[in-house]
Amino acid sequence: MPKLTIDGHEVEVAAGTNLIEAARAAGVAIPYFCYHPYLAVVGQCRICMVEVAGQPRLALGCATPAADGMVVKVEDSERAREAREAVMEFLLANHPLDCPVCDQAGECLLQDHSMSEQGSKFTTHMAETRRTFPGYERRLIGPHVVQNQNRCIHCSRCIRFTREISETAALTYKSRGNSTFIDTFDGSSFDDPMSGCATDVCPVGALTLRETRFRKRAWKLRSTPSVCPGCSIGCNIFIDHHERVVYRFTPRENPAINATWLCDHGRFLAESLNEQAYLTPQHQGPGHPVPAAWGEALAAVGALLRGAASLRVVASANMSNEELFLARELFGRQLKGEIAVPVAAGEPRRMKNGRGEWLLAKDAHPNAAGARRLGLDTVDGEGLSRFLYGGAGLTLILDPEAHPFLASPEALRLLRVGTTVVWARRSHPVADGATWLLPTPSIASNEGTFTSSTGAVQRFAEAFAAPGTVHRTATGGMSPDCPTIASPWGAPGEARPLWLVLSALARELGTKTLDLASPAEVFTLMARSEKGFAGLVWEALGGLAPQQSFRERQHVG
Amino acid sequence: MEPVLLRARGAADSRAITTYLKAGGYEGWKKALAMGPDAVTKEVSDSELRGRGGAGFPTGRKWSFVPKDHPGPRYLVCNADESEPGTFKDREIIEYDPHQVIEGIAIASFAIKANTAYIYIRGEFVRWARILEETITEARQHGFLGKNVLGSGFDLDVWVHRGAGAYICGEETALLESIEGKRGFPRLKPPFPAVVGLFGKPTVINNVETLACVPHIITRGAAWFAGIGRAKNTGPKLFGVSGHVNRPGVYELPLGVTFREIIEEHAGGVRGGRKLKAFFPGGSSAPVLTAAEVDVKADFDACAEAKTMLGSGGIIVFDDSVDMVEVADNVAHFYAHESCGQCTPCREGSDWCMDILDRLMAGHGLPADPDTLLRICRFASGGMTICPLGDAFALPITSLVTKFRDEFERHIAAATPLPPRKLPVLPWAGPKAGFGI
Repeated sequence: MPKLTIDGHEVEVAAGTNLIEAARAAGVAIPYFCYHPYLAVVGQCRICMVEVAGQPRLALGCATPAADGMVVKVEDSERAREAREAVMEFLLANHPLDCPVCDQAGECLLQDHSMSEQGSKFTTHMAETRRTFPGYERRLIGPHVVQNQNRCIHCSRCIRFTREISETAALTYKSRGNSTFIDTFDGSSFDDPMSGCATDVCPVGALTLRETRFRKRAWKLRSTPSVCPGCSIGCNIFIDHHERVVYRFTPRENPAINATWLCDHGRFLAESLNEQAYLTPQHQGPGHPVPAAWGEALAAVGALLRGAASLRVVASANMSNEELFLARELFGRQLKGEIAVPVAAGEPRRMKNGRGEWLLAKDAHPNAAGARRLGLDTVDGEGLSRFLYGGAGLTLILDPEAHPFLASPEALRLLRVGTTVVWARRSHPVADGATWLLPTPSIASNEGTFTSSTGAVQRFAEAFAAPGTVHRTATGGMSPDCPTIASPWGAPGEARPLWLVLSALARELGTKTLDLASPAEVFTLMARSEKGFAGLVWEALGGLAPQQSFRERQHVG
Repeated sequence: MEPVLLRARGAADSRAITTYLKAGGYEGWKKALAMGPDAVTKEVSDSELRGRGGAGFPTGRKWSFVPKDHPGPRYLVCNADESEPGTFKDREIIEYDPHQVIEGIAIASFAIKANTAYIYIRGEFVRWARILEETITEARQHGFLGKNVLGSGFDLDVWVHRGAGAYICGEETALLESIEGKRGFPRLKPPFPAVVGLFGKPTVINNVETLACVPHIITRGAAWFAGIGRAKNTGPKLFGVSGHVNRPGVYELPLGVTFREIIEEHAGGVRGGRKLKAFFPGGSSAPVLTAAEVDVKADFDACAEAKTMLGSGGIIVFDDSVDMVEVADNVAHFYAHESCGQCTPCREGSDWCMDILDRLMAGHGLPADPDTLLRICRFASGGMTICPLGDAFALPITSLVTKFRDEFERHIAAATPLPPRKLPVLPWAGPKAGFGI
C-alpha cells in the first residue's frame, strides 16, 4: 500500500492506483478529460499534468501509478498549473464555445474545468479562424446519437467505449492531425445496443442523445438514485427529473453490476415513466367506469376480499420485494388465496460490470429473483394461462404488465368469469374491464428494493410524489412511442404505490402486523422473518447511504 | 576516412550478394553465431555505437533492455521509414549495399534471440522495398536466413512491411502499431518496446544505418569502430546534405567533423557564391544553427551542447537569399500535416503555428505573433506530448523565432490589416427568405 503526499495531504492507496484516483482520495482534484476509470488509459488530453518531486518532466496523473514516498504537487506547482492552462488554451482554441446553445452545458467537463480553474480570467492568444467540420455539426450517426464534431476535443473515450466495453468497435478516428474526426466505420449507422453510453462518456457536447437533447437544461434536473426496471440485471441508475416529469435515466456507478454503463433498452424506458393513464380509483358502472374516492375504493375492495369464496392473485416480478412480501402475507397467508408471479423471458440483454465480465439477464423483469427468494410461484405464459383457467370468485391483478399473456384475448376471456380488481398505470385491456381499478404510479413515485439476478438487493428511491394530470400531446409527447406526457402544472394525481394500498387494505381487514407506514418498515419486518433477506439493513442497501456513495457522477460524462 | 557503409557505392553490381561476399560479407554473421548472443551485445556496447535514427541512444544498451528470461517470441524491427525532411541516407545504403542491413538484422536478432525480424519501410520507397525483398531472397538462398542458419540451430525470418505514407510511423511505437495493422498512433510510454513491443512482446527497433554498422563492428572489432570519431561519438556517419550547396548528396564521414568541413569541403560550399545564412543540422526537426555556429562538431554531444541535435544527419543549407519566416512556415506545414491528432498540444499547436505563419507570409502579421509562436512551441515540447513530434515542430520554430526574430519583425512591420472576413451566405438568410415557408 503506497503512501504518498499530494499537495501536502498524506494518503495511502492500493498498489497500482493512479495519481488521479490517489488525489481524489486525498481530496485534491486533478482535472481530466480523456481518463475514465473503466476505460484504458491513453494520456491524450494532457490536462492532468502534475509535478512529481525529483522528476524533471511533468507527470501524467492518469498514467503515473502512485508510489511510496512520492511527493505530488497539483495546485501547489506553478509549472504544472501553467502547463494545464496551456492545454486548456489549446483545447479551447478550436472549440466553438457555443455553450448557450449546447445541450451538454451544465454537465460538460470542459466547461466545468474552464469555470473552476480559469473563471473570468480566461484569455486566448488565438486570432485565427476556428477549425470547423462542415456537415458534421449536427449529424445523426445512429438511431440515438447526434454528433457535433466542432465541439469534439478528441479524447477518444467514445472510441474506447465501443472497443473495450460494448465490443462493437463501431466508432473510430478518421483523417489525421487537426482534421481528425470521429466517425463510424464505413460511415454505417452507429447501431450499438449501448450507444447511449457514448454520449455519457463524451466529456463535451460532441455526442448527445437525440431523445433527450434540448428537453431540459442539465442544471434544472434533479437526480434520484434508482434501479433500472428494464431487466433482471438491475443496473444502478439516476432518474433525472424536474417538476414531476422524468427526462432521462443516467447510469449510476456500481462496479459489481453496471460499472458506469446502461443499455439503450433500459435508458429509453425513462420517458415511459411519464405515462399515467389512470388517475383515480374507478369501478365499473353501467357501461362505463365511474370514478371513486380512495376511501370508498378501499372499503369496497376490502368487502370483496372478505366475501370472496375463492381468491387468486396475479402478482408481478415488476413489484418491489416489499410489495411482493405484503401481497404474500396478506393474500396468501392471511386470506389463503393462490398467488402466481408470471415471469417473461424477454429479449436477451447483457451488461458489462467493472471487472469486464458480461452479466446476462435471465428475465425481462427487475425483481424475478426477489419473487423466487420469497418462495412465490413463478410461472411462464403457459403456467399463467393454466393458473387463470382454474377460475375463482375474486381475481386480483396487481400489475397487468406482469406478462404479455394478460393482454391476449384468451386471458380476457378467462377473466370474464368472476370479479376482478386491477392495479394499473398504463392503459391495458385487463384494466378496462375490471370491477375495480386502482391507479398505481411508476417506479419514479415508488420506493423499495429489487433483487438483481446477481443476488444483490438494491434500493430505489422516490423521485417525486404521484405524477400529475396527463396531457395527450399532438406531437406524441417526448417520442412517438410515448403518447402521453405528465404535465408539471396539473395537480398531483391520486395514483398510490402498491405497498401503500396493500398496507391500507391490511388495516381495512384488521391485520395489524401488516399495517406499516413505509417500505423501510416492511423491509425490516421482511428481514426479520425471511431467510433470504436476513441480516440486511434498509439504510445500507444499494449505495444510497452516504458512506457507500461512489465517485461523483462526473465519471459518467 | 575510407568508406565503410558506402564502400560499394558506384561499383558495378554493387547490390549482388556475390559482390558483397567478395568484400567479406556475412563473415560478421558467421563470427557472431560462433560468439554467442551475450558476446555480440557486449561487442556492440564496447563499440559505443549510438542509434543513427535521431535520438542517438546507445545500441548495445537498447539490446540489453530486452528481458533475458522472457518466454515466447521477441522481435527485431528495422526502421526504414525514412521520412524526415532533408534525410535520405538509408535509401542510399539500401540502394548500393543492402546486404549490410540484412546481415546487421541477422546479428541483432541473434543478440536479442529474436527469430522474426521486420523491416518497416516507408510506403513511397517502392523501389527500395523491392530491392530489400530481392536481397532477403538472395540471403535466404545462400543459407544466411531461414531455418537452422549455417547449421547453428538458429532460425530467422525477415519480412518487409511497407508503410502507408505517414511520417509519424517512423516513431518507434507508432511503427509497431502500424505493423500490427492499427492506426499509426504512438503509444504512451512506459512500458517501453524492449519490454512490451510488437504484438505485446519484447521488441528492439533499430535504424537502417545503425544495423548496417553492426556487421562491421563484429568483423573488425569494437576497438576499430571506437577508433573512428571521438569518445562516446564513435563510428562513421552518413550526412545527407541538401539545399543551397554546390554538391548536394550523401557523404560518409567520421562523427565529430565540423559542419563547416561538411558544407564547404565535401558539399562544395554554398552555391552561386552566396553566403551561408543558416542550416538544419539533422533534419527539419532539429533547431536551426546560424552561419556563426558552423564550426560546431557534427556529433551527438557537440550538437546537444549547441542546443540542437544531430538527429538523422540530414543537413539542410540555406543561403542568404532565404526568408526564415518562410522556412518556419514550411516546417509548420509539414508537421501540421503529419501530426497524428492524438494528443492535444501537438494536434492543436502544430495547426495553430501553421495558421499564424501562413498569415505572416500573406502579409497580415500581428505584433504578438512571435511571442504567440514561442508560447505555443513552449507548451508543445519538453514532455507535453506523447511522442517527440511535438518537439519536432516546436524546437525548430522556437529556434527560428529566437535567432531570426528581426525577420519576423520585418514581416510584421510591413503587414497590412486582415481583410474583413467574408461570411458565408446562408441559404435561409437570402433576400427571398422569410418565415413561415
